[in-house]
Amino acid sequence: MSVVVNRDIVVSPASVEAGPGRVAGARSALVRFVPAFALFVVVLVVWEGIARIFKLPEFVLPPPTAILQVLIAHQRDLGFAAYVTAREVLFGFLLSAVIGAAVALVIARFATFGRALYPLVVLFQTVPKVALAPLFILWFGFDLAPKVMLIVVIAFFPVAINMLVGLQTVDSNLVALMRSVGASRNEILMRIQVPNSLPYLMAGLKVAVTLAVIGAIVGEFAGAQAGLGYMIQFASTQMQTSLVFAALVEVSVLGLLFYYIIEWLEKRYVNWLPGAN
Amino acid sequence: MNANPSSAPQAPAHIQARGVCVDFTVAGRVNRVLHDVSLSVPKGGFVSLIGPSGCGKSTLLKVLAGLLPPTAGEVTVAGVPPIEAVRQRRIGIVFQEATLLPWKNALDNVAMLMQVAHAGRSGEQIRQRATDMLRLVGLEHAAQKRPAQLSGGMRQRVSIARALALDPEVLMMDEPFGALDAITREEMSAFLLEIWERTQKTIVLVTHSIDEATFLSREVHVMASNPAKIIEALPIDLPYPRNEDSYAAPEFARATARLRRLLKEGHRQAAAA
Repeated sequence: MSVVVNRDIVVSPASVEAGPGRVAGARSALVRFVPAFALFVVVLVVWEGIARIFKLPEFVLPPPTAILQVLIAHQRDLGFAAYVTAREVLFGFLLSAVIGAAVALVIARFATFGRALYPLVVLFQTVPKVALAPLFILWFGFDLAPKVMLIVVIAFFPVAINMLVGLQTVDSNLVALMRSVGASRNEILMRIQVPNSLPYLMAGLKVAVTLAVIGAIVGEFAGAQAGLGYMIQFASTQMQTSLVFAALVEVSVLGLLFYYIIEWLEKRYVNWLPGAN
Repeated sequence: MNANPSSAPQAPAHIQARGVCVDFTVAGRVNRVLHDVSLSVPKGGFVSLIGPSGCGKSTLLKVLAGLLPPTAGEVTVAGVPPIEAVRQRRIGIVFQEATLLPWKNALDNVAMLMQVAHAGRSGEQIRQRATDMLRLVGLEHAAQKRPAQLSGGMRQRVSIARALALDPEVLMMDEPFGALDAITREEMSAFLLEIWERTQKTIVLVTHSIDEATFLSREVHVMASNPAKIIEALPIDLPYPRNEDSYAAPEFARATARLRRLLKEGHRQAAAA
């Protein structure tokens, strides 16, 4: 068991490339999901049992089967809400990635400006971002823009910090070699530092995308006309707890989906370990 | 002491250091790392710097390679200061770690410095040269492999191929085989000797292995620490061609015994200082 866990952590680039190994890898991935899936089923069954045995009112704790019924019955409304939220997450996340990467590049490339910018970025990080939501609603209205802005202020930081670490943890001997052949500061940045930072960037993006989902929901809580967060808030005021849970299920699926898309991109394109020499 | 034709004073020195001192200032305290070091390496020579850990042999190599300006003294490589020699691509460097790019395959790693240095050349020319260099180090079959898929010895060969790709006159090597196991080390020594004989490069090697220094060098400079200086330049009269049998030669035994004595002496001096 412990061997399997270790292989999870250290994915050797060699195993990513081999063709036949890939099929075996997919099978072993399925096998790895079995315990998680089993536990999930057990939790649902216990939940269902508690809700039925104690005859809890549906507005307190609906059984999973009731949630499933709502998921099917309201699939059009939920689907549209999910689409609205997914759009916010996608735009917010992409903008966070771009801004986070840009901040990291600027700090790494322009030392003096970086020294000025870095403390401000950290200071800004200490502001509770959720408290900005009403301001963004006030400034940008009830549509996409305020949610995207809220996501950006929440999610750009892990992107920037992770990428910055990747840009700065470059082998100094490698830099010396590049200098010895007359490489410019920009050439060292583009040929060594940026590729070196990609595994770190991917780690930052994974954190950012989960924060982006939270940002979108919080943004919708603060003021919206559609979306899963709006639906959760609306349904809870109507005591439609099953619908709240159904929307929560869709939020989770959305988050998982985004997360695994990034993980897939990482496995596909950034399949080396930092400093694997 | 046996006169060695290659280190005779009339031979034009390819690398020349006179009175080199290096001070590092740590927390306001001046620390002398190298004191009054002089050495000369003839063209096509193979010189090793040997000494205990922290004796400044790597620092000396950095000075010779133009990576570190000396506090005092004068260094020339091919008649010009090292920094100028670096600019003229006369110096190739190999570190203890292979320092390859983990996201590039062996071929692209060999081509990496050429792509910057020979920006005018076509990709095809650079590729051809990189392929030739991989063949020279016996790794043409591993061209598409990433560093993580190569053994430590193979990675270091790629690193040597990368240095040779720019066709430098001098190869500066800082404990290039220090991270390898004993058997791979000896293989790499034989490999380096072959490369040296085929390419006629001038090589300066930093090592702490007495056997490695003896097997490879025409001359071994023994260093002592605190502050670091060269206590003796010992010519190695081990006959060529050198091969596995050379380790059993009486000249090999004599040279290693002498080096061992010198190193111990340097160690005692350092302890007494």
